[in-house]
Amino acid sequence: MRLLSILFAFLFAISIVSIPQNDAIAFSDQQIARGAYGDDVIELQARLQYLGFYKSKIDGKFGYNTYWALRNFQEKYGLPIDGIAGAKTKKALAGYSDYDENWVKAQLKAGNQFTYYGGVPLDQQVKNSGGGSTANSGDSSGSSNSNGTDTQIPPKYTERDLQLIANAVYGEARGEPYEGQVAVAAVILNRLESPDFPNTISGIIFQPLAFTAVADGQIWLEPNQRAKEAVIDAMNGWDPSENALYYFNPKTATSKWIWTRPQIKQIGEHIFCS
Amino acid sequence: MRTMLVILTIAVIGLGAYSIDLHGDKESLQRTVHAQYTEKLTDASEKLSYLQRAVSQSLLFKDEKAIDSELDSIWRLSSEVRSSIANIPIGQELSNQWLGYLGKLGDEAKKTAKSGDYEAWREKMPQISTNLQALSDEWTTATVDYYKQDGKMDVWMRQVDNKNPNTSFDNIQKTLKDYGESDFPLTLSEADWQKKIELKALQDSVITEKEALEKVKYLFPLIKDATFTVTKSSDTAPYPFYHIQFHQGIRLGYVDLTEKGGHLLSYLVERPVDEAKLSQDEIIKKAEEHLKRLEMKDVAYVEARENHLAWHVTFARVHPGDNALIYADGVQLKIAKDTGELLGANAMEYIQEESIKPQKANPIDWKSFFDNNVRVEEVKNIYTDNGQFEQRLCYEVIAVRDEQTQETFRIVIDAENHNVLKVEYLT
Repeated sequence: MRLLSILFAFLFAISIVSIPQNDAIAFSDQQIARGAYGDDVIELQARLQYLGFYKSKIDGKFGYNTYWALRNFQEKYGLPIDGIAGAKTKKALAGYSDYDENWVKAQLKAGNQFTYYGGVPLDQQVKNSGGGSTANSGDSSGSSNSNGTDTQIPPKYTERDLQLIANAVYGEARGEPYEGQVAVAAVILNRLESPDFPNTISGIIFQPLAFTAVADGQIWLEPNQRAKEAVIDAMNGWDPSENALYYFNPKTATSKWIWTRPQIKQIGEHIFCS
Repeated sequence: MRTMLVILTIAVIGLGAYSIDLHGDKESLQRTVHAQYTEKLTDASEKLSYLQRAVSQSLLFKDEKAIDSELDSIWRLSSEVRSSIANIPIGQELSNQWLGYLGKLGDEAKKTAKSGDYEAWREKMPQISTNLQALSDEWTTATVDYYKQDGKMDVWMRQVDNKNPNTSFDNIQKTLKDYGESDFPLTLSEADWQKKIELKALQDSVITEKEALEKVKYLFPLIKDATFTVTKSSDTAPYPFYHIQFHQGIRLGYVDLTEKGGHLLSYLVERPVDEAKLSQDEIIKKAEEHLKRLEMKDVAYVEARENHLAWHVTFARVHPGDNALIYADGVQLKIAKDTGELLGANAMEYIQEESIKPQKANPIDWKSFFDNNVRVEEVKNIYTDNGQFEQRLCYEVIAVRDEQTQETFRIVIDAENHNVLKVEYLT
């Protein structure tokens, strides 16, 4: 038994020492775990896919799909199985796989559907989001927003929810302080919890006469990063409106009814009420 | 001169033709929109009468299967009428009252089908059936004018905006409000929940504006030299609080503190964030340090999500009796990726503090509970809302289905009666 342990330790040491040095510079020096996102995760997913462990979309978000793929890799290559990409795991990954950073990022930027399996020519692994044309056709119909690598939100919300609320926040409150933008997003989310409103984000935003930005078309303006940040904060629980269901601008409001609602506080130009 | 006149005439004719064309387009668009709204209005009216019939029919039977079929129809129809009404421009207040009433009716049907308490249903519904008939009749009367508008949307909008207090919509609004209160009074659990979110349980003494500012400077020493603007919540706010806005150099933000006891509701600061320098591990350690300063020592780590500028880290209160996490008593922190500075704290739920009733945890044999190709990866005891405003002790299971595709699910199961409360697909 002891002999077996020594033999196993020896083999393990050999396997670590003998990792092919395909890629000397890989990853940043930070360990990557569930909840992380960004370039390191894109690289991690691409390398795991190259080796056949990761079969989902390369999106730069370290969720459960990445976690299981990483654990399977660690198990197969005799590494400690913890689902965390630490120094040893990253070194092993970099050794056994190739990573064409420019190519992967170009696909993400173009919003293409693609995979990154080792041994398959790259041009056979791309499906343009518009359908049919080649990877580097310059089609940017799927922008960096649509590939979803720039945000992580609680599982009960979708990327579509984020986009819609960000549009509403930008259309309704782009001139307001950040706090006011988070509050507008929070009002939409509070309506989702209220039985008196439609039970989907799109139902709430497009409810006739509910939002001025829908009526005057400003909802279709492209929201900026600040509006998106505000929505992410609201989705994570922040509610500067203190549970409000309505808000209005006292200078422009025409409805008499809105003045009958119990007021909570004012942020910028908006009065928030329950 | 003659040439000028010809050009001018052509221009006027051209402009006139363009204007007629534009007007025609606008009118056509208006008629299309009007037709769609009228279709929704008709749909809502029709389904409302089906709903009333379904409620009435549910009172015909003692047979459980026959009642269940009607309850199912009530739940479906109430949901469909809600959806139609939500899509008609009839004014926010009326729309809300309809949605609220119909939602409660649907929920009641769903709850009865689940609990099997048909006796309570039979006791409650005769009056609701009568009220629903009255509402359906009033709705028909109120909407009759909308069919006489010659397809003109502006006439519709004028009718909605009519400030005359005797409009038929005002009548139905009043009836809906009265019936809503009498037909579906708040249950004990709902009333408790309402009190909780209105922070009625806070019994601490009121703090002054000066004390509130001192508290802010103590909790957030980084902004102690900021310029502060303090305002109090409106008199009609469900709970009084101080709204403290601050500005210090590159930092701009706010803190809300309750007037009773000066408890932190939320804090948020906006500042430019440099490139990420801290690892996930370091971020979580920073978050734990911030929690200590905020004097929240009875919480444990739940999850963290990295975003563009910051990490959002969630903690939840640990039940002192059984160490289960109380998700409803959560705290969220926003930590800057560059320095680990606290960019936000949300303690709204934490200060509401749930009162947890003792509950039994009956063990589950996972092999017989789940399908053969499901692997249970992790089980945690938690307290969470069961959808009826009650905090229940639950098993939170992370399970993987199919070793090939490795689809991951989060399943929340009531630990006592083994009802599945929630299933989430995790990616």
